[in-house]
Amino acid sequence: MTQSNEKLFNQEAVEKIEQEKKRWYEQLVKTGSDDESYKTDSGIPIKLLYTPDDVKDLDYLKDLGFSGEAPFVRGVYPNMYRGRLFTIRQIAGYGTPEDTNQRFKFLLENGATGTSVVFDLPTIRGYDSDDPKAEGHVGAAGVAIDSIEDMEALYDGIPIDKISSNIVTHLPSTTVVLLAMFVAVAEKRGIPLEQLSGTTQNDFLMETTVGSSLEVLPPRASFRLQCDAIEYASKMLPRWNPVSYNGYNLREAGTTAVQEVACAIANAIATTEELIRRGNNVDQFAKRLSFFWNLYNDFFEEIAKCRASRLVWQDVMKNRFGAKEPRSQMLRFHVQTAGLALTKVEPLNNIIRSTIHALAAVLGGAQSLHVDSYDEAYSAPTEQAALLSIRTQQIIQVETNVVNTVDPLAGSFYVEYLTKEMAKRIKDYIQLLESKGGIVSAVESGWLHREIAEYAYQQQQDIESGKKKIVGLNYFPSNQKETEIEVFRYPEQAEAIQKEKLAKLRAKRDNAKLEKALNELRTKCHEDVNLMPYIKEAVKAHATLGEIQNIFRQEFGLWQFPLV
Amino acid sequence: MVMSRKIKVVMAKLGLDIHWRGALVVSKMLRDRGLEVVFLGNQFPEQIVEAAIQEGADVVGLSTLGGNHMSLGPKVVQLLREKGLDDVLVIMGGVIPEEDHPKLMEAGIAKVFGPETPIDDIDSFIRERVPTYNQLFSDV
Repeated sequence: MTQSNEKLFNQEAVEKIEQEKKRWYEQLVKTGSDDESYKTDSGIPIKLLYTPDDVKDLDYLKDLGFSGEAPFVRGVYPNMYRGRLFTIRQIAGYGTPEDTNQRFKFLLENGATGTSVVFDLPTIRGYDSDDPKAEGHVGAAGVAIDSIEDMEALYDGIPIDKISSNIVTHLPSTTVVLLAMFVAVAEKRGIPLEQLSGTTQNDFLMETTVGSSLEVLPPRASFRLQCDAIEYASKMLPRWNPVSYNGYNLREAGTTAVQEVACAIANAIATTEELIRRGNNVDQFAKRLSFFWNLYNDFFEEIAKCRASRLVWQDVMKNRFGAKEPRSQMLRFHVQTAGLALTKVEPLNNIIRSTIHALAAVLGGAQSLHVDSYDEAYSAPTEQAALLSIRTQQIIQVETNVVNTVDPLAGSFYVEYLTKEMAKRIKDYIQLLESKGGIVSAVESGWLHREIAEYAYQQQQDIESGKKKIVGLNYFPSNQKETEIEVFRYPEQAEAIQKEKLAKLRAKRDNAKLEKALNELRTKCHEDVNLMPYIKEAVKAHATLGEIQNIFRQEFGLWQFPLV
Repeated sequence: MVMSRKIKVVMAKLGLDIHWRGALVVSKMLRDRGLEVVFLGNQFPEQIVEAAIQEGADVVGLSTLGGNHMSLGPKVVQLLREKGLDDVLVIMGGVIPEEDHPKLMEAGIAKVFGPETPIDDIDSFIRERVPTYNQLFSDV
């Protein structure tokens, strides 16, 4: 990056513009059209009109620069989408691993360029399919994975050495197991680990804050496992993103765009501090940390959020942690369009909403994208709806020409102003979190849960009162009859099939070897070591996801989720 | 002397279902409208019924988005009836396919509320169906 202290705008000209703006305002603008009721979704006041005066201190080379160079506000890669289009990554997951394997193949044949798997609730929360708590959940809302054999079936025939695999593991405590299974499967197929590319979500906020459950590990234990997976991958899996800091679900649960990004970056800051404490060099792991944003309705604010998040991260990594490599300072992110914005009423309207969200993601410089399907208020997407989500992305990629120049909204007075303002507010909220003792403490005390609950409540009140307008719902309410819509049905036989597989597995495995591996893991839970190698040994000895999770529950204890 | 008593709702996330936003917001907004709501977080049918007994609930609210409504919803009603709690009103909310609604109602779920239901609809449904308190204690 070139050092400079040169302002983009001639300051005398800016002054003149301001004077002229005053004149214009007094002479031409009707009173009331510039009042304070106009705000972005996260509460930033919006002016009627922006001029260079709103960004008068902008120093082009220092504040914006070029794509692929610090401060990366214009994008993380020099060639951006000309070099590589964003990955079309539609989530799939239902039934048995064999069922989902079929959906993977359908999506890949139709142009998806990576796989993305979502698990059923027992797998997400670490219960085997034959656990009484799993009853009624197996293979619903995601695929069931119990053992290494299921992981083999899930990726059977999928070239995991060539295309990237997004594994939506949510919780650290299941990430460590599922990642170990994935690595063990690759080894069995003879794939060198350095060829594996993909992402595990692995976010302790998902385990302790965003979702509730019956048995929740303490935040510090979950955070430790999150860091274990990241540290292990930084040494063994050079192309793997071991974490996708999940702003998305924070937003769905109830935060502003500012809080979404601030919480995710605060978690990345805590991770960085912990890995440095363990003796790692920041440049060894920081380049593989990745993020996950929710793109919601406020078009320009969402684009500004994407740009601002890159700006804040670059500053944190360079100035706070002394990261030297450019890649350590780049914030790369996946986007899913906002599920919360979709309505059940007149579901076809959702196609329009998701398309606008998707366009914002692309203008914001996303690395990969999932477009929500219009039928999500009814069920998991049908095959037809999932295909439409792919088509939406393909249309943006090849028919609109928006991908062919870098960061096309740069230089817009409004977008630059918003980017700067978002960055400032994100930093302020990170500071607030740190004043609560950092992200882990803010979760332990229930402070973050209260913040989220309060905002969710406020949003609902705004919808009920009509302050927040939703087309077809409280704005020109629909008088359509309930829409006839095809609903996706989960394969009901999945539970029986998975139970039978587990019975066979438990009968045939070498119990002495299994016990040895599990006992070793149990002991190591109490030492300041990385648990990944011990978990990998256990899954190779055919330990199930639930068995390993039970060890965590017993050794780390359970935490009382702060009901809010 | 007639003591004033609010309608009492026990609200739970059903089984392993994850997303608590809807259940929590509905709980808070029913409280705003004068109902007493105990939010249990995640529970399975046995624990939900136990809590309903301990709390002396008039209403049990179940929230689910993850596809377990058919397997676990009717079980709550069944366990309540086994314990002799015939009058407890069981309602559900979440992402539940329309075609399952009749089956759930047949199993004793009084009403299924989908996404975007105005809270007032839930509130008035409860007040209609828990009539004793409505008539005696209209102060709420």
